[in-house]
Amino acid sequence: MTADNSTAPLLAARGLVKAHGRTEALRGVSVELAAGEILAVTGPSGSGKSTLLHCLAGIVRPDRGAITYGGERIDQLPEARLSELRRTEFGVVFQFGQLIPELTALDNVALPLLLAGRGRTEARASAGEWLERFGVRGQQELRPGELSGGQAQRVALARALVTGPEVVFADEPTGALDSLAGEQVMTALAHAARESGTSVLLITHDARIAAYADREVILRDGAEVAEGADAVEVSR
Amino acid sequence: MRNDLRLARLLVAGSDRREWWRITLTAIGALLATGFALAAVVLGALRGHHPLGIAHGLFDNPGERQGVVISLLLLLVPVFGFLGQCARIGAVHRDRRLAGLRLAGATPAQVRRIAAVEAGLTCLAGSAVATVFSVLLLVLNWSVPSGYAWAGIAVVALGVPVAGMLVSVLALRRVVASPLGWVRRVRPQTRPGPLFLVALVLFTGVAAVAYVSMADHRGRGAVLSGPLLVFAVLLVTGAAALWLVGATARLTGRLLAARTGRPAVLIAAERLRDDPWAAARTHAAVLLVTAVATAFAGIRQVLLEVLDSQKHLGASRAFYTTGIDLTAVAIGVALVITLSGLAVGTAESLATRRRGLAAQVAAGVPRAVLGRALLLETALPLAPAVLLAGLGGMAVGTGYAALTDDGGSRSVPWAALLVPLAVYAACLLAAATSLPLLRRSVRPGELRYA
Amino acid sequence: MSTRHILLGLLAAGPSHGYDLKRRHDERFPQARPLAYGQVYTTLQRLVRDRLAEVDGTDADGGPERTLYRATEEGAAELARWSAEIAPPAPFVANEIFAKVVVAILAGGDPERYLREQRAAHMARMRDLTAVKTAPGADLSTVLSADYALTHLDADLRWMTTTAARLTSLTAEVDHR
Repeated sequence: MTADNSTAPLLAARGLVKAHGRTEALRGVSVELAAGEILAVTGPSGSGKSTLLHCLAGIVRPDRGAITYGGERIDQLPEARLSELRRTEFGVVFQFGQLIPELTALDNVALPLLLAGRGRTEARASAGEWLERFGVRGQQELRPGELSGGQAQRVALARALVTGPEVVFADEPTGALDSLAGEQVMTALAHAARESGTSVLLITHDARIAAYADREVILRDGAEVAEGADAVEVSR
Repeated sequence: MRNDLRLARLLVAGSDRREWWRITLTAIGALLATGFALAAVVLGALRGHHPLGIAHGLFDNPGERQGVVISLLLLLVPVFGFLGQCARIGAVHRDRRLAGLRLAGATPAQVRRIAAVEAGLTCLAGSAVATVFSVLLLVLNWSVPSGYAWAGIAVVALGVPVAGMLVSVLALRRVVASPLGWVRRVRPQTRPGPLFLVALVLFTGVAAVAYVSMADHRGRGAVLSGPLLVFAVLLVTGAAALWLVGATARLTGRLLAARTGRPAVLIAAERLRDDPWAAARTHAAVLLVTAVATAFAGIRQVLLEVLDSQKHLGASRAFYTTGIDLTAVAIGVALVITLSGLAVGTAESLATRRRGLAAQVAAGVPRAVLGRALLLETALPLAPAVLLAGLGGMAVGTGYAALTDDGGSRSVPWAALLVPLAVYAACLLAAATSLPLLRRSVRPGELRYA
Repeated sequence: MSTRHILLGLLAAGPSHGYDLKRRHDERFPQARPLAYGQVYTTLQRLVRDRLAEVDGTDADGGPERTLYRATEEGAAELARWSAEIAPPAPFVANEIFAKVVVAILAGGDPERYLREQRAAHMARMRDLTAVKTAPGADLSTVLSADYALTHLDADLRWMTTTAARLTSLTAEVDHR
């Protein structure tokens, strides 16, 4: 389950520094994400979790430090290229609000495929399959405002995974849900990721959600406290 | 009441930049409305012949003056449209704030008063500026304004803020009703509804009555006052076009959304289908201006032909052409105001959705696609409506040409057809002014939670 | 946890022998500490002594001879009473982790490091349990019992997180006394 350190990581960050105005959100964070690994990033509010995700996903540029994806530097890529990378190689799930309110669930999921230039019929067909997989096929003609929180998040997962991305970035994907709905969404994400070998960078402050990951990185005040040591002696 | 005032002041003082945009733009709208209304009132207060010595004597006689007065009143239509757009800026934010006040224990009456005070003071600022400058201009250029004029000035200066207060109370009736406001997004059920139709019929009626009363003073300007009746008719055309925008927006939305494979078209079409009346609200003034401008372009050509063909004019040729040119200026001003309203509306729609748009960009949706969707939202429903408004205006222009035809000398004013095209292009340009805003508002910072 | 009441509950379905009871117990409560056969046997004997259960005969079935037990009416009544009884919510606050933190402070150890490692151990256990409950084909009993343990581990974790954030104040307080 744990990352094999002998092979190069899929996504790696070294010494990331990022400031929002005068507050430093990240102060030299280094993390690695192996292919097929689910990595949880936890820590208290304001510890820089979201900023780390934004940097790794190429949504914002770090002030200093390097990010490599598949062995290539991506932190200096032009915005158009980054946007393409996010569209084709990455998927994102936020706490809420990533679905377009005017589009039906089905069209929301089909959107990334349409952006990739696929035909409408084909795109809707694959979107339907993903909705089926996450158990929200019956809601495909509803719009986000008409879905429950859990359903909306499963639609968002389908949208993030529909293009077959290498990495899914999930920022508190269950943050707005009750614990049962949250567990269902997380189970769906973990299953889908393991089946397709997709890596997941999961931001959460909930240990029960972090337990779905293979590994945990804890942030505090913009720096990693500890990689949750995997090999600890437990006296039984 | 003092506490309401204090709260309103605190809320405004603590507002963000968007709130200040709304306040500034609303004040400008109130300024325009006051300015036009004051000019109309002052001219309307004149009795009989007054050699004012401006615009080649166009304002000297009651007949022409009344025509000018009606034109000025008609200019209020796009101003109201503009104010409507301004009121929508930050509407979500404001609704939430007022709902918060209700949650904190304010009674509906208190919230209503606070909102009314806020709107009233904003409009008062605009109206005060307009009044001061108008009075200065009046006193400098025209030594003795009559008592009527003074009374009218006072009524307008105070009437505009009062109207602003009433409108804001009316617009907030839904927010005030529930302390929770619109927490969850529901499918919008808003339609212009019968209210708008009634308003339109009333306005048309007023214009018609004004025309009839003016007919008593029929003088040299008869040739010019004819078009005013036409304007009233055009209002009806505008109303029809308004309904058409709603209907076509819904239809285009549905048809395109079901078929298109292009993301930008899909997003725009679904937004139209979701709330077709939003487009109708925004574009009402555009359609009116298009219809009026097209008709006017036709009528102008005819009038100039008449002037050229008649040997013996009742006044100098410049007298007539000045009238025609002034009307053109009025229509131009109306168009500029309308386009500003459209630009404000597009910017507002963008600002309201900036969080969602930021999420789209984060997911890799190119900004170009979002920009195209934004333009298409304006372009799609406007195309058929502008076409119809243009055709309506063209029909009026051609009809006028046929009416005044006294021997086959009139030509069909084809050039007028350029007007709807130009208006359409101008609308797209106005919508495009918010594209730079797209780049600025779609920031990753919007993705942060609380 | 009352083994006798759990065995009574399993007997409510019908007469059963010791080995069968053990098997069914481990099946029903998948993440619980497995029941030792000896414990089943002594508990059954005590139930018979207290007239809550009685011997129902023997069952050879080709193999070694087994004693069948069944619940008495008294046993059914006792079971009903017990299952309706409210469990006392945490009567004593006995917390090994807290004790270790305090002792570490007193003895000049490294409580922060201890909490970090304890947290890692908790997380590792939570990952195991999550893997168990999300494995394909996991039945609801497995999911619910894993959830029970996960919720308790999560509570420990939260407590450890807030404690770690307040270690400085705690150290001052403990040293002061």
